[in-house]
Amino acid sequence: MKVMVPVKRVVDYNVKVRVKPDGSGVDLNNVKMSVNPFCEIGIEEAVRLKEAGSATEVIAVAVGSTACQEQLRTCLALGADRAVLIETTDEVQPLGVARALAALQAKEEAGLVIFGKQSIDGDNCQTGQMFAALANMPQGTFASEVTIEGDKVKVIREVDGGLQTVQLSMPAVVSTDLRLNEPRYASLPNIMKAKKKPLDVHSPQDLGVDVAPTMEVLNVAPPAERAAGIIVDSVEALVDKLKNEAKVIS
Amino acid sequence: MTLGDVERAAILAALFTYSAGGRLRMPTFLDEIFSPEQIARDDDSCANWGRDWTRDRAPAPSAVVFPKTAEEVQALVRRAAETATALVPSGGRTGLSGGAVAANGEVVVSFDKMNRIVDFDATDRIARCQPGVVTGALQSFAEDRGLMYPVDFASSGSSHIGGNIATNAGGIKVIRYGLTRDWVTGLQVVTGAGELLKCNQGLTKNATGYDLRHLFVGSEGTLGFIVEAEMRLAKAAQPHRVMVLGVPQFPDLLKVLAAFQQEITLSAFEFFSQIALDKVRAHRDLAEPLSTPTNFYALLEFDDSEEDAAMAAFARVMEEGWVTDGVLSQSDAQAASLWQLREGISESIAIYTPYKNDLAVKVSALPEFLTKVTDCVQAAYPDYEVCWYGHIGDGNLHLNILKPAALSIEEFYANCGTISPQIFALVEAAGGSISAEHGVGTLKADYLQFSRSPEQIAVMRGLKSLFDPHGIMNPGKLLV
Ligand SMILES: Cc1cc2nc3c(=O)[nH]c(=O)nc-3n(C[C@H](O)[C@H](O)[C@H](O)COP(=O)(O)OP(=O)(O)OC[C@H]3O[C@@H](n4cnc5c(N)ncnc54)[C@H](O)[C@@H]3O)c2cc1C
Repeated sequence: MKVMVPVKRVVDYNVKVRVKPDGSGVDLNNVKMSVNPFCEIGIEEAVRLKEAGSATEVIAVAVGSTACQEQLRTCLALGADRAVLIETTDEVQPLGVARALAALQAKEEAGLVIFGKQSIDGDNCQTGQMFAALANMPQGTFASEVTIEGDKVKVIREVDGGLQTVQLSMPAVVSTDLRLNEPRYASLPNIMKAKKKPLDVHSPQDLGVDVAPTMEVLNVAPPAERAAGIIVDSVEALVDKLKNEAKVIS
Repeated sequence: MTLGDVERAAILAALFTYSAGGRLRMPTFLDEIFSPEQIARDDDSCANWGRDWTRDRAPAPSAVVFPKTAEEVQALVRRAAETATALVPSGGRTGLSGGAVAANGEVVVSFDKMNRIVDFDATDRIARCQPGVVTGALQSFAEDRGLMYPVDFASSGSSHIGGNIATNAGGIKVIRYGLTRDWVTGLQVVTGAGELLKCNQGLTKNATGYDLRHLFVGSEGTLGFIVEAEMRLAKAAQPHRVMVLGVPQFPDLLKVLAAFQQEITLSAFEFFSQIALDKVRAHRDLAEPLSTPTNFYALLEFDDSEEDAAMAAFARVMEEGWVTDGVLSQSDAQAASLWQLREGISESIAIYTPYKNDLAVKVSALPEFLTKVTDCVQAAYPDYEVCWYGHIGDGNLHLNILKPAALSIEEFYANCGTISPQIFALVEAAGGSISAEHGVGTLKADYLQFSRSPEQIAVMRGLKSLFDPHGIMNPGKLLV
């Protein structure tokens, strides 16, 4: 069984992002870019399935600029067998990405497609679901446990206030939640070997899809700054303020 | 003040003002200089501000004061000189040598209330800081302006710039960015004689004789108070990578260092032993970094842009057989978790109340030195665990001997104390330093002669009496 894992190149989780003064977006100048953490969990899960003998091949796929090759190489070092870049200079948005991936899936016929539940830049949480609809596949989102059972996959989902267990017929779509696994470090010998693994580049035209954005970002604003705190003289003054100003106690 | 407080103060004053020898014990002049909220005399405050990170001596200051201006510091020093009152400068109290401990009724002078960055000039890239600015606050200040304050270590969230200067703090990026000393472009100090000296005022070039600024860097509060510092900021760091390598043989660590230095600019080269890794992993529940455990590990940091060259160096050290395995961070989050393996060690071994030693020798002398020290400890106490880590790229080793659970702390420290002179003799023979970056304080004051000649110590004493003629500045520290 082939497992396909779409991965997104995003601003690193640890970077303190700065909004551009004109509000047109986030300043990406000199900023560390990494694999979206949820996608990294997807790669780890796929590699574990392969190590356990449930999967035969792990394919990492990115849709975006040529710079995404860097993140694909990371996935190859982590254990993916080959990588595909669907290269576009367009800004990538969930629907376009889902279309491109659905076209690729038609060729690859992967048994399982593991998405991150969302990317930490746009926080859209849409691509996996759109893909499932376009490819007409069942989906188990927000997975915290994935078990292959013959031609079915059992997914334990993290839902509000509890867990839900679902069984899907493959080919199926899974999206990863944080607790699914803890990704490994890329070992240096594997990074060296990854340089020799295949990385194919296609254009959206090759796949017969259009990934042009359908949505326009009008403005990006940083969160409002918190007002400075004050020091009160006594517990009485504190209680008074909590009651009458903050109105958090009565 | 309530009536009760007045009475209490009067009684205490009567009891303590004049003790044997006519020395002022409970300095009443403090109330003339400082407002009541700038003075603390209660037991909790004295216990809190009376010591640093060390725990071997009980804090017992007579009072703690919190000056807000250089003028107040100057007034304090003048009155202290008249009354022979000993003063202990106190920063973030993260010191590891007892430098900020007041165990003998001294007045602690805390810079907690002098914690403003006074101004910043973008052209000069100089931030004028009060001494109590927390190191981490200066780092964030720089970051917010697209710059960097590159001196960094595990305690930077608490330590003060004043304390860093007084100890010439080093840390994890010395190999690339140098020590605190390298970022001080100007200092204002109040000497033990009560004079305010403005040293170098931010100049890059200043060929007018003795650079007094540098005497105060690393002076451990024995010459005067640092009341303002002009700190240079660096351009922001490039995105970087962290590599952890498994190195079975200690001497090969240095070959690995040389191989990488030939190819790339390292911003860190740290090492730790398998024992250190075990402790930190158990304490923080961290994953094993490599699939095959080994005796020693090197942690390297370098710019993203040098990844290819670093890979070439890695290929070489693998081929040579010096390195058996390694990992490379693929995100800043991974870089941070790899750093935890090194930065969390100190905290993770605290439960073993270790006997700590911060030693330096030339990088080339490290392998022989490490072997000799390990042998020396093992010969005396074969059942003691020896945990090594440190800034090996700077020739700086942190030796930690862990206390076996069955042994009392007293017995353990006493036993380790008997081998200290042997260890320091090994340092002396290797031409090294008994304190690489933590200072001398009280902890190593008795051993200074292992790193400084009698002639040098005499010159140091001469300087001390010049700046501190009344002997009120941090007595009992560094020079005893
Ligand atoms: C977990 C941990 C990790 C550490 N790692 C490192 C490391 O990697 N590298 C390193 O170099 N150190 C390290 N240290 C030691 C310590 O953090 C440094 O020595 C630091 O510079 C001390 O700063 P401080 O403000 O806490 O000073 P304090 O401990 O308060 O004082 C240190 C000395 O400076 C004097 N002093 C303080 N303020 C002034 C002033 N304004 N004027 C004159 N004298 C003053 C004090 O009297 C004392 O002698 C570490 C400590 C801990 C707890």
